[in-house]
Amino acid sequence: MKTRCRKIVSLILAGLMTLSLAGCGKQSAAKDVDYIKNKGTLVVGITDFAPMDYKDDDGNWIGFDADLAKKVGEDLGVKVKFEEIDWDNKILELNNKTIDVVWNGMTLTDEVKNSMSCTDAYCTNAQVVVLPQDKADQYKDEDSLKNLSFAVEAGSAGEEAAKDKGLGYTSVDSQSKALMEVAAGTSDAAIIDLIMAGAMIGEGTSYPKLTHTVELTSEKYGIGCRKGSDLTEYINKEISKFYSDGTMEEIGKKYGVQEALIKK
Amino acid sequence: MFVEVTLSLLKGFLSTVELFALTLLFALPLGLLIGLGEKSKIKVISLPLKFIIWVIRGTPLMLQLLLIFYGPGILFGYNVWGGNSLGRFVAALVAFVINYSCYFAEIYRGGIQSIPVGQYEAGEVLGMTHSQIFRKVVLLQVIKKIVPPMSNEIITLVKDTSLARVISSYEIIWAGESFIKSAGIIWPLFYTGVFYLVFSGLLTLLFNYIEKRLSYFR
Amino acid sequence: MALLEVKNIKKSFGSTQVLHDISFDLNKGEAISIIGSSGSGKTTLLRCLNFLERPDAGTITVDGKLLFDASDKNKFSEEEIRKRRLHFGLVFQNFNLFPQYTALENVMLAPKLLNEGDDAELKANAEKLLDQMGLSDRMGNYPHQLSGGQQQRVAIARALALHPDVLCFDEPTSALDPELTGEVLKVIRELAENKTTMIIVTHEMAFARDVADRVIFMDGGVIVEQGDAREVINNPKEERTRQFLSSYSKK
Repeated sequence: MKTRCRKIVSLILAGLMTLSLAGCGKQSAAKDVDYIKNKGTLVVGITDFAPMDYKDDDGNWIGFDADLAKKVGEDLGVKVKFEEIDWDNKILELNNKTIDVVWNGMTLTDEVKNSMSCTDAYCTNAQVVVLPQDKADQYKDEDSLKNLSFAVEAGSAGEEAAKDKGLGYTSVDSQSKALMEVAAGTSDAAIIDLIMAGAMIGEGTSYPKLTHTVELTSEKYGIGCRKGSDLTEYINKEISKFYSDGTMEEIGKKYGVQEALIKK
Repeated sequence: MFVEVTLSLLKGFLSTVELFALTLLFALPLGLLIGLGEKSKIKVISLPLKFIIWVIRGTPLMLQLLLIFYGPGILFGYNVWGGNSLGRFVAALVAFVINYSCYFAEIYRGGIQSIPVGQYEAGEVLGMTHSQIFRKVVLLQVIKKIVPPMSNEIITLVKDTSLARVISSYEIIWAGESFIKSAGIIWPLFYTGVFYLVFSGLLTLLFNYIEKRLSYFR
Repeated sequence: MALLEVKNIKKSFGSTQVLHDISFDLNKGEAISIIGSSGSGKTTLLRCLNFLERPDAGTITVDGKLLFDASDKNKFSEEEIRKRRLHFGLVFQNFNLFPQYTALENVMLAPKLLNEGDDAELKANAEKLLDQMGLSDRMGNYPHQLSGGQQQRVAIARALALHPDVLCFDEPTSALDPELTGEVLKVIRELAENKTTMIIVTHEMAFARDVADRVIFMDGGVIVEQGDAREVINNPKEERTRQFLSSYSKK
């Protein structure tokens, strides 16, 4: 009975592993560019993350990353389709070929680099501490943060920062959830992207009483492709081209991120 | 790697089982009270209960979890749960107990209503007290009636515990997903299914056994 | 003096008056049959005697003791009602046996809960009653394993186990297949021969005539005619009784 159980379990596992491995077969990934050209669409995995990817009043996806992706799509000669994903599942989505690329202000952490093939960094960002305004004065430097409880997005650069600095934290499933934690008082503070903080908190946003203070780490944004994909190199070349012809500068100015661009 | 993943998932599964067991512990009796209250002739008791059951059964459990955990802080500026993992677990437990009590209440109510009035009357003319009629005559018949729907609901609860992750109360799915983020491996997430299957399989056996034990009468 | 005296019982459900001023007596050892079409109030009358309904007016006296008086506005405790209703036993149309107990357990349950003796004593008594009902080989069976006629006989034994002063039957054979009514009627006939005080609501006219000492004919919530069983059924004095009986014999 016991051995039979074990056999069944190992069979199920073997099945699952084949499934998960099938998605990242190196052979098909190496010809990603051809694969995308053949099917005629580049599917870009994103989340609602202003100012990189967000919807305009007509419901079309715009933003620094979105516009850049459209430019790459033009050069590939394919349509660009934006697919809103659960950020936790980005690697699943890639390997499952439901998306072709993760292009959403993605911080290049070790975790990300291990599980995807990433382009060179094209943008810098910082992780900042978000606090209620009335408490901001007490927490101006890193030492003062030790006694606070933090909310961070699971697997984000913010989580890494909290881990590195030895801060007490709870992982939540998104950056906006982390902000909700602070607003609800269930966490004292959150660690999120500076770019996100600029768009989401302060006057005229959903969280007018929150502000950001200490800058913990700075980080770089990259674009994620399937492991072993030739699309990575293709996008790298595209981006150097956009730098030299001024496209980067132009789009950057449009969305207020020109200071953050990494010039080559 | 397999051993490491299994141990980590087991730890997550422990939280799942804790949430499951404590939800049952509180929701089974609370559901009975709500079910009896809903049947009460006193409108002040029955109407609010009917309203609550309507709201709880009419909205997603995920929304109830978010509202119970974040609601007090965001709406009233007062966070009642604390932010540590115990506070999150308690908030999740409260949400699950309320939600499942309402479902159980409906099952109890259906079970009690299915007992013919003649059973009560037979007890009465034989000089039994109300509590004797309930304990000696009605109870076992109600239990027999509610075992099948109850087992359905309880097996659903096993799987619903995964919703606790929306308020970052960690359980096995979270433990499985964390491997995607930390090591880039996906199979642990699917492997969690094996734990659910084994657990709900055991429960199914238990309920089959109970049903069999109660099959001596009709 | 009569064992049971029922005086001026009235009962309404909402605006419908079901019983208008019902009075009758019953002597010890006497069997009375109540006949009448459905909706005539027979069953409601039995339910009033067993405290399943509360009459709006009237009195019920057993053995000289006033059990119920509608003009007494004091609410009796549940305990008191329970004691008083034990003067009566009731056999239901649908038997209402407890499905989770065997025939023997059904008979023993109530005496046990009332602490009427030790287990061995109660068991011996229950076995005697079931034996009397011709069910000595069915004691360990659950109700769903018994035929309707057998179930009804268990129900009769269950009612007898509490030694009621007056045993009431509410259409005891109406829920039975015709071929099963005989065994139940036979048992009731034996009870009558043993001078059990009984009130039997029934549609079996021949049975009422042969077994009951007296018959009460009810219609529209009033007693139209009562008297010697053979007399009422063979030579009814009232026109309404005649109509009812002739419509019955046509069927």
